[in-house]
Amino acid sequence: MNCQELRDHYELYALGLAENPERDEVRAHLDRGCEVCMPAMKRAREMVALLSGTAAPAAPSPKLRRRILASVGVEQRAFGWTPLLAGTTIMFLAAAIYFGGREWDFSREVVRLTAQSRGQMIELTRLNEAFQLMNGAETTVTSFGEKKPVPKGKLYYNPSRGALLIASNLPQAPAGKAYELWYIPKAKGASPARAGMFQSQNDGTVMQVIRGPIDANTTAAIAVTLENEAGVDAPTTTPVIVAPLAPALQ
Amino acid sequence: MFLLPILLALRATEADAALIVRLQRREPQALAELYDRYGRLAYGLILRVVRDTGIAEDLVQETFLRVWNRVQGFDAQKGAIGPWLLAVARNRAIDYIRSAGGRERNTVEFEETDHPSLYTDMEPDILASDKARIVKAAVEKLSSHQRQVIELAYFEGLSQTEMAERMGQPLGTVKTWVRAALKTLRDELGAQAVSV
Repeated sequence: MNCQELRDHYELYALGLAENPERDEVRAHLDRGCEVCMPAMKRAREMVALLSGTAAPAAPSPKLRRRILASVGVEQRAFGWTPLLAGTTIMFLAAAIYFGGREWDFSREVVRLTAQSRGQMIELTRLNEAFQLMNGAETTVTSFGEKKPVPKGKLYYNPSRGALLIASNLPQAPAGKAYELWYIPKAKGASPARAGMFQSQNDGTVMQVIRGPIDANTTAAIAVTLENEAGVDAPTTTPVIVAPLAPALQ
Repeated sequence: MFLLPILLALRATEADAALIVRLQRREPQALAELYDRYGRLAYGLILRVVRDTGIAEDLVQETFLRVWNRVQGFDAQKGAIGPWLLAVARNRAIDYIRSAGGRERNTVEFEETDHPSLYTDMEPDILASDKARIVKAAVEKLSSHQRQVIELAYFEGLSQTEMAERMGQPLGTVKTWVRAALKTLRDELGAQAVSV
Protein backbone atom coordinates (compact mmCIF):
# COMPACT_ATOMS: atom_id res chain seq x y z
CA MET A 1 0.00 0.00 0.00
CA ASN A 2 1.11 3.51 -0.58
CA CYS A 3 0.92 6.35 1.89
CA GLN A 4 -2.22 7.77 0.32
CA GLU A 5 -4.04 4.51 0.89
CA LEU A 6 -2.93 4.44 4.53
CA ARG A 7 -4.06 7.99 5.25
CA ASP A 8 -7.26 6.96 7.05
CA HIS A 9 -5.54 4.38 9.19
CA TYR A 10 -3.11 6.45 11.25
CA GLU A 11 -5.55 7.24 14.06
CA LEU A 12 -6.84 3.69 14.00
CA TYR A 13 -3.28 2.46 14.41
CA ALA A 14 -2.56 4.92 17.20
CA LEU A 15 -5.71 3.84 19.02
CA GLY A 16 -4.92 0.17 18.53
CA LEU A 17 -7.87 -0.35 16.21
CA ALA A 18 -6.03 -0.93 12.95
CA GLU A 19 -6.57 -4.33 11.41
CA ASN A 20 -4.52 -6.27 8.95
CA PRO A 21 -3.39 -5.83 6.31
CA GLU A 22 -3.40 -2.07 6.99
CA ARG A 23 -1.82 -2.50 10.43
CA ASP A 24 1.23 -4.31 9.07
CA GLU A 25 1.49 -1.82 6.23
CA VAL A 26 1.52 1.15 8.59
CA ARG A 27 4.12 -0.50 10.72
CA ALA A 28 6.29 -1.24 7.75
CA HIS A 29 6.17 2.41 6.70
CA LEU A 30 7.10 3.50 10.19
CA ASP A 31 9.93 0.99 10.39
CA ARG A 32 11.56 2.44 7.31
CA GLY A 33 11.01 6.01 8.52
CA CYS A 34 8.52 6.94 5.85
CA GLU A 35 8.58 10.72 5.43
CA VAL A 36 4.84 10.84 4.82
CA CYS A 37 3.64 8.38 7.43
CA MET A 38 5.92 9.47 10.29
CA PRO A 39 4.56 13.05 10.61
CA ALA A 40 1.03 11.80 10.12
CA MET A 41 1.50 9.23 12.84
CA LYS A 42 2.89 11.92 15.14
CA ARG A 43 -0.31 13.89 14.76
CA ALA A 44 -2.36 10.76 15.40
CA ARG A 45 -0.34 10.02 18.55
CA GLU A 46 -0.83 13.55 19.66
CA MET A 47 -4.57 13.28 19.40
CA VAL A 48 -4.61 9.97 21.23
CA ALA A 49 -2.37 11.30 24.02
CA LEU A 50 -4.78 14.13 24.65
CA LEU A 51 -7.63 11.66 25.10
CA SER A 52 -6.05 10.76 28.43
CA GLY A 53 -7.30 14.09 29.67
CA THR A 54 -10.86 12.80 29.72
CA ALA A 55 -10.05 10.49 32.64
CA ALA A 56 -11.25 11.62 36.07
CA PRO A 57 -8.55 13.04 38.35
CA ALA A 58 -7.23 10.68 41.03
CA ALA A 59 -4.34 10.58 43.46
CA PRO A 60 -2.33 7.48 44.36
CA SER A 61 -1.34 6.71 47.94
CA PRO A 62 1.83 8.40 49.22
CA LYS A 63 3.45 4.97 49.62
CA LEU A 64 3.50 4.44 45.87
CA ARG A 65 6.30 6.93 45.39
CA ARG A 66 8.47 5.09 47.91
CA ARG A 67 7.64 1.76 46.31
CA ILE A 68 8.71 2.96 42.90
CA LEU A 69 11.93 4.51 44.15
CA ALA A 70 12.71 1.46 46.25
CA SER A 71 12.29 -0.72 43.18
CA VAL A 72 15.25 1.06 41.56
CA GLY A 73 17.32 0.88 44.71
CA VAL A 74 16.53 4.21 46.34
CA GLU A 75 15.76 3.81 50.00
CA GLN A 76 13.42 6.54 51.13
CA ARG A 77 13.02 7.13 54.79
CA ALA A 78 9.50 6.74 56.00
CA PHE A 79 8.10 10.14 56.66
CA GLY A 80 8.01 11.84 59.78
CA TRP A 81 10.00 10.63 62.63
CA THR A 82 13.49 11.83 61.87
CA PRO A 83 12.60 15.45 61.14
CA LEU A 84 10.00 15.35 63.88
CA LEU A 85 12.49 14.06 66.41
CA ALA A 86 15.09 16.56 65.25
CA GLY A 87 12.59 19.37 65.56
CA THR A 88 11.48 18.20 68.97
CA THR A 89 15.07 17.89 70.15
CA ILE A 90 15.89 21.38 68.93
CA MET A 91 12.78 22.69 70.62
CA PHE A 92 13.69 21.05 73.91
CA LEU A 93 17.28 22.29 73.67
CA ALA A 94 16.04 25.79 73.03
CA ALA A 95 13.65 25.48 75.94
CA ALA A 96 16.42 24.10 78.16
CA ILE A 97 18.75 26.95 77.20
CA TYR A 98 16.00 29.48 77.71
CA PHE A 99 14.82 28.13 81.02
CA GLY A 100 18.40 27.35 82.05
CA GLY A 101 19.22 30.99 81.44
CA ARG A 102 16.14 32.01 83.33
CA GLU A 103 17.14 29.64 86.13
CA TRP A 104 20.62 31.14 86.22
CA ASP A 105 19.15 34.63 86.34
CA PHE A 106 16.75 33.55 89.06
CA SER A 107 19.60 32.00 91.03
CA ARG A 108 21.65 35.18 90.80
CA GLU A 109 18.65 37.22 91.80
CA VAL A 110 18.00 34.95 94.78
CA VAL A 111 21.64 35.29 95.88
CA ARG A 112 21.45 39.05 95.49
CA LEU A 113 18.19 39.30 97.40
CA THR A 114 19.48 36.96 100.10
CA ALA A 115 22.58 39.08 100.57
CA GLN A 116 20.46 42.21 100.57
CA SER A 117 18.10 40.66 103.07
CA ARG A 118 20.98 39.55 105.25
CA GLY A 119 22.47 43.05 105.16
CA GLN A 120 19.12 44.57 105.97
CA MET A 121 18.65 42.09 108.76
CA ILE A 122 22.04 43.00 110.20
CA GLU A 123 21.26 46.67 109.88
CA LEU A 124 17.85 46.10 111.46
CA THR A 125 19.42 44.21 114.32
CA ARG A 126 21.98 46.95 114.77
CA LEU A 127 19.27 49.58 114.77
CA ASN A 128 17.23 47.52 117.19
CA GLU A 129 20.24 47.29 119.45
CA ALA A 130 20.78 51.02 119.14
CA PHE A 131 17.17 51.84 119.97
CA GLN A 132 17.12 49.45 122.89
CA LEU A 133 20.28 51.02 124.17
CA MET A 134 19.02 54.56 123.60
CA ASN A 135 15.70 53.77 125.30
CA GLY A 136 17.17 51.81 128.18
CA ALA A 137 16.18 52.98 131.62
CA GLU A 138 19.79 53.33 132.69
CA THR A 139 20.96 55.02 129.53
CA THR A 140 22.63 58.40 129.74
CA VAL A 141 23.88 60.55 126.93
CA THR A 142 26.82 62.87 126.54
CA SER A 143 27.78 65.10 123.66
CA PHE A 144 31.23 65.54 122.25
CA GLY A 145 32.97 67.78 119.79
CA GLU A 146 30.47 70.55 120.11
CA LYS A 147 33.13 73.19 120.34
CA LYS A 148 35.27 71.72 117.58
CA PRO A 149 34.70 71.78 113.85
CA VAL A 150 34.99 67.97 113.47
CA PRO A 151 33.79 65.47 114.42
CA LYS A 152 30.87 65.78 116.78
CA GLY A 153 28.00 63.65 118.09
CA LYS A 154 26.57 61.84 121.08
CA LEU A 155 27.42 58.80 123.13
CA TYR A 156 24.59 56.81 124.66
CA TYR A 157 25.80 54.80 127.58
CA ASN A 158 24.03 51.97 129.36
CA PRO A 159 26.01 50.20 132.07
CA SER A 160 24.54 46.78 131.35
CA ARG A 161 24.08 46.95 127.54
CA GLY A 162 27.06 48.98 126.39
CA ALA A 163 27.29 52.21 124.43
CA LEU A 164 26.05 53.72 121.18
CA LEU A 165 28.27 56.17 119.37
CA ILE A 166 26.57 58.48 116.90
CA ALA A 167 28.82 60.97 115.14
CA SER A 168 29.07 63.17 112.06
CA ASN A 169 31.78 65.04 110.20
CA LEU A 170 33.99 62.01 110.55
CA PRO A 171 36.47 61.99 107.65
CA GLN A 172 36.44 58.83 105.53
CA ALA A 173 39.33 56.62 106.53
CA PRO A 174 42.13 56.45 103.92
CA ALA A 175 42.79 53.16 102.14
CA GLY A 176 44.21 50.57 104.53
CA LYS A 177 43.01 52.52 107.54
CA ALA A 178 40.00 52.14 109.83
CA TYR A 179 38.68 53.72 112.99
CA GLU A 180 39.24 51.84 116.22
CA LEU A 181 37.26 52.25 119.44
CA TRP A 182 38.90 52.30 122.82
CA TYR A 183 37.86 52.05 126.43
CA ILE A 184 39.74 54.86 128.18
CA PRO A 185 40.42 53.84 131.80
CA LYS A 186 40.09 56.23 134.74
CA ALA A 187 43.19 54.92 136.46
CA LYS A 188 46.28 56.83 135.65
CA GLY A 189 48.90 54.80 133.85
CA ALA A 190 46.40 52.17 132.73
CA SER A 191 46.33 51.37 129.02
CA PRO A 192 43.25 51.83 126.83
CA ALA A 193 41.44 48.62 125.88
CA ARG A 194 40.19 47.73 122.41
CA ALA A 195 36.42 48.19 121.93
CA GLY A 196 36.00 47.41 118.21
CA MET A 197 36.59 48.85 114.76
CA PHE A 198 34.40 50.57 112.15
CA GLN A 199 34.40 52.53 108.93
CA SER A 200 32.56 55.82 108.62
CA GLN A 201 29.87 56.28 105.97
CA ASN A 202 30.47 58.23 102.80
CA ASP A 203 28.58 61.18 104.29
CA GLY A 204 30.89 61.19 107.31
CA THR A 205 28.35 59.72 109.72
CA VAL A 206 28.65 56.71 111.96
CA MET A 207 26.40 54.80 114.29
CA GLN A 208 28.37 52.18 116.15
CA VAL A 209 27.20 49.91 118.97
CA ILE A 210 29.68 48.82 121.63
CA ARG A 211 28.15 45.70 123.12
CA GLY A 212 28.53 44.47 126.63
CA PRO A 213 28.51 45.97 130.08
CA ILE A 214 30.78 48.92 130.71
CA ASP A 215 31.79 49.82 134.20
CA ALA A 216 31.71 53.57 134.58
CA ASN A 217 33.75 53.25 137.76
CA THR A 218 36.77 52.09 135.80
CA THR A 219 36.09 53.57 132.35
CA ALA A 220 36.22 57.29 131.84
CA ALA A 221 35.40 57.60 128.16
CA ILE A 222 35.16 56.02 124.75
CA ALA A 223 37.76 57.21 122.28
CA VAL A 224 38.26 56.78 118.55
CA THR A 225 41.59 56.73 116.75
CA LEU A 226 42.55 56.16 113.11
CA GLU A 227 44.59 52.97 112.86
CA ASN A 228 45.64 50.32 110.35
CA GLU A 229 42.55 48.37 109.27
CA ALA A 230 43.90 45.18 110.88
CA GLY A 231 43.70 46.90 114.21
CA VAL A 232 46.34 47.59 116.87
CA ASP A 233 46.72 46.72 120.52
CA ALA A 234 47.27 50.29 121.64
CA PRO A 235 46.37 53.64 120.10
CA THR A 236 49.07 55.00 117.81
CA THR A 237 47.39 58.27 116.82
CA THR A 238 45.71 61.13 118.55
CA PRO A 239 42.01 60.37 119.16
CA VAL A 240 39.57 62.09 116.79
CA ILE A 241 36.74 61.48 119.28
CA VAL A 242 36.78 61.34 123.04
CA ALA A 243 33.32 60.84 124.48
CA PRO A 244 33.13 60.69 128.26
CA LEU A 245 30.69 58.30 129.88
CA ALA A 246 27.93 60.15 131.64
CA PRO A 247 27.25 59.02 135.17
CA ALA A 248 24.60 56.35 135.39
CA LEU A 249 21.07 57.48 136.22
CA GLN A 250 19.91 56.80 139.74
CA MET B 1 -10.63 19.69 35.26
CA PHE B 2 -8.17 16.97 34.47
CA LEU B 3 -7.07 18.55 31.23
CA LEU B 4 -5.20 21.36 32.92
CA PRO B 5 -2.66 19.24 34.79
CA ILE B 6 -2.15 17.19 31.66
CA LEU B 7 -1.33 20.29 29.72
CA LEU B 8 0.93 21.59 32.43
CA ALA B 9 2.74 18.26 32.54
CA LEU B 10 3.06 18.00 28.80
CA ARG B 11 4.30 21.56 28.58
CA ALA B 12 7.40 20.95 30.67
CA THR B 13 9.59 20.68 27.61
CA GLU B 14 12.92 22.16 28.67
CA ALA B 15 12.69 20.61 32.09
CA ASP B 16 11.83 17.30 30.46
CA ALA B 17 14.93 17.40 28.29
CA ALA B 18 17.19 17.81 31.31
CA LEU B 19 15.22 15.18 33.16
CA ILE B 20 15.67 12.67 30.36
CA VAL B 21 19.43 13.20 30.40
CA ARG B 22 19.49 12.51 34.12
CA LEU B 23 17.31 9.45 33.71
CA GLN B 24 19.69 8.18 31.07
CA ARG B 25 22.52 8.69 33.56
CA ARG B 26 20.56 6.45 35.92
CA GLU B 27 20.08 9.10 38.59
CA PRO B 28 17.42 7.75 40.95
CA GLN B 29 16.42 11.26 42.01
CA ALA B 30 15.45 11.93 38.41
CA LEU B 31 12.95 9.09 38.64
CA ALA B 32 11.55 10.71 41.77
CA GLU B 33 11.10 13.97 39.89
CA LEU B 34 9.54 12.14 36.96
CA TYR B 35 7.05 10.59 39.33
CA ASP B 36 6.29 13.91 40.97
CA ARG B 37 5.58 15.38 37.56
CA TYR B 38 3.56 12.59 35.95
CA GLY B 39 2.61 10.17 38.72
CA ARG B 40 -0.89 11.50 39.27
CA LEU B 41 -1.63 11.70 35.55
CA ALA B 42 -0.49 8.15 34.96
CA TYR B 43 -2.43 6.93 37.96
CA GLY B 44 -5.62 8.69 36.88
CA LEU B 45 -5.36 7.25 33.40
CA ILE B 46 -4.64 3.72 34.59
CA LEU B 47 -7.35 3.84 37.23
CA ARG B 48 -9.83 4.88 34.55
CA VAL B 49 -8.91 1.73 32.69
CA VAL B 50 -8.61 -0.90 35.42
CA ARG B 51 -10.99 0.69 37.99
CA ASP B 52 -9.10 -0.79 40.95
CA THR B 53 -6.82 1.39 43.06
CA GLY B 54 -4.47 -1.40 44.15
CA ILE B 55 -4.02 -2.71 40.64
CA ALA B 56 -3.66 0.84 39.35
CA GLU B 57 -0.80 1.48 41.73
CA ASP B 58 0.92 -1.74 40.69
CA LEU B 59 0.60 -0.72 37.06
CA VAL B 60 1.88 2.79 37.75
CA GLN B 61 4.91 1.17 39.31
CA GLU B 62 5.35 -1.01 36.23
CA THR B 63 4.98 2.04 34.03
CA PHE B 64 7.72 4.00 35.72
CA LEU B 65 10.03 1.01 35.83
CA ARG B 66 9.45 0.45 32.13
CA VAL B 67 10.30 4.07 31.39
CA TRP B 68 13.34 3.82 33.67
CA ASN B 69 14.57 0.76 31.81
CA ARG B 70 13.85 2.03 28.30
CA VAL B 71 14.65 5.72 28.51
CA GLN B 72 17.94 5.24 26.66
CA GLY B 73 16.02 5.25 23.39
CA PHE B 74 14.89 8.82 23.81
CA ASP B 75 16.31 11.97 22.27
CA ALA B 76 16.99 14.22 25.22
CA GLN B 77 17.16 17.34 23.04
CA LYS B 78 13.55 16.95 22.01
CA GLY B 79 12.50 15.38 25.28
CA ALA B 80 8.76 14.72 25.29
CA ILE B 81 8.73 12.11 27.95
CA GLY B 82 5.23 12.92 29.17
CA PRO B 83 3.25 11.66 26.15
CA TRP B 84 5.45 8.61 25.98
CA LEU B 85 4.97 7.84 29.66
CA LEU B 86 1.20 8.22 29.27
CA ALA B 87 1.28 5.86 26.29
CA VAL B 88 3.21 3.35 28.35
CA ALA B 89 0.76 3.77 31.22
CA ARG B 90 -2.23 3.26 28.97
CA ASN B 91 -0.72 0.21 27.34
CA ARG B 92 0.21 -1.31 30.72
CA ALA B 93 -3.38 -0.88 31.87
CA ILE B 94 -4.96 -2.21 28.73
CA ASP B 95 -2.53 -5.10 28.64
CA TYR B 96 -3.60 -5.93 32.18
CA ILE B 97 -7.34 -5.94 31.56
CA ARG B 98 -6.89 -7.91 28.36
CA SER B 99 -4.87 -10.52 30.22
CA ALA B 100 -7.31 -10.58 33.13
CA GLY B 101 -10.18 -10.97 30.71
CA GLY B 102 -8.47 -13.76 28.84
CA ARG B 103 -8.15 -11.62 25.77
CA GLU B 104 -5.20 -11.63 23.42
CA ARG B 105 -2.88 -8.66 23.51
CA ASN B 106 -2.72 -6.34 20.54
CA THR B 107 1.04 -6.60 20.56
CA VAL B 108 1.69 -4.40 17.58
CA GLU B 109 -0.17 -1.42 18.97
CA PHE B 110 1.33 -1.77 22.41
CA GLU B 111 4.95 -1.61 21.34
CA GLU B 112 5.13 1.99 22.31
CA THR B 113 8.91 2.17 22.23
CA ASP B 114 9.30 0.98 18.68
CA HIS B 115 9.32 4.50 17.36
CA PRO B 116 10.37 6.91 20.09
CA SER B 117 10.72 9.72 17.57
CA LEU B 118 6.95 9.62 17.25
CA TYR B 119 6.90 11.04 20.76
CA THR B 120 9.99 13.18 20.76
CA ASP B 121 8.95 15.20 17.74
CA MET B 122 5.36 15.36 18.90
CA GLU B 123 6.04 17.89 21.55
CA PRO B 124 5.85 21.24 19.75
CA ASP B 125 2.33 20.44 18.57
CA ILE B 126 0.89 18.56 21.46
CA LEU B 127 1.92 21.19 23.93
CA ALA B 128 -0.28 23.83 22.40
CA SER B 129 -3.00 24.49 24.93
CA ASP B 130 -5.34 25.67 22.20
CA LYS B 131 -5.09 22.31 20.54
CA ALA B 132 -5.78 20.48 23.78
CA ARG B 133 -8.83 22.60 24.36
CA ILE B 134 -9.93 21.92 20.84
CA VAL B 135 -9.57 18.16 21.26
CA LYS B 136 -11.64 18.29 24.40
CA ALA B 137 -14.28 20.33 22.66
CA ALA B 138 -14.18 17.94 19.73
CA VAL B 139 -14.77 14.94 22.01
CA GLU B 140 -17.79 16.70 23.43
CA LYS B 141 -19.13 17.14 19.93
CA LEU B 142 -19.18 13.42 19.32
CA SER B 143 -22.43 11.54 19.48
CA SER B 144 -22.87 9.21 22.42
CA HIS B 145 -22.10 6.17 20.29
CA GLN B 146 -19.07 7.81 18.76
CA ARG B 147 -17.77 8.87 22.17
CA GLN B 148 -18.42 5.38 23.52
CA VAL B 149 -16.39 3.64 20.86
CA ILE B 150 -13.52 6.06 21.31
CA GLU B 151 -13.54 5.45 25.06
CA LEU B 152 -13.77 1.70 24.64
CA ALA B 153 -10.82 1.83 22.29
CA TYR B 154 -8.69 4.20 24.33
CA PHE B 155 -9.49 3.19 27.89
CA GLU B 156 -10.27 -0.50 27.43
CA GLY B 157 -8.23 -1.35 24.38
CA LEU B 158 -11.08 -3.10 22.67
CA SER B 159 -10.80 -3.97 19.03
CA GLN B 160 -13.64 -2.98 16.75
CA THR B 161 -14.88 -6.57 16.73
CA GLU B 162 -14.86 -6.64 20.51
CA MET B 163 -16.71 -3.35 20.66
CA ALA B 164 -19.35 -4.72 18.33
CA GLU B 165 -19.82 -7.71 20.60
CA ARG B 166 -19.89 -5.54 23.72
CA MET B 167 -22.37 -3.09 22.29
CA GLY B 168 -24.46 -5.69 20.46
CA GLN B 169 -24.07 -3.82 17.24
CA PRO B 170 -22.98 -4.95 13.80
CA LEU B 171 -19.26 -4.63 13.18
CA GLY B 172 -19.90 -2.39 10.21
CA THR B 173 -21.88 0.01 12.39
CA VAL B 174 -19.14 0.15 14.95
CA LYS B 175 -16.54 0.81 12.26
CA THR B 176 -18.69 3.60 10.94
CA TRP B 177 -18.95 5.18 14.38
CA VAL B 178 -15.19 4.85 14.87
CA ARG B 179 -14.32 6.42 11.55
CA ALA B 180 -16.86 9.17 12.02
CA ALA B 181 -15.52 9.92 15.48
CA LEU B 182 -11.94 10.04 14.28
CA LYS B 183 -12.91 12.23 11.34
CA THR B 184 -14.69 14.64 13.65
CA LEU B 185 -11.65 14.84 15.85
CA ARG B 186 -9.36 15.26 12.86
CA ASP B 187 -11.57 17.88 11.25
CA GLU B 188 -11.95 19.83 14.45
CA LEU B 189 -8.23 19.86 14.92
CA GLY B 190 -7.58 20.79 11.30
CA ALA B 191 -10.20 23.54 11.23
CA GLN B 192 -9.03 25.03 14.46
CA ALA B 193 -5.41 24.75 13.41
CA VAL B 194 -6.21 26.93 10.40
CA SER B 195 -8.11 29.44 12.48
CA VAL B 196 -5.61 29.61 15.33
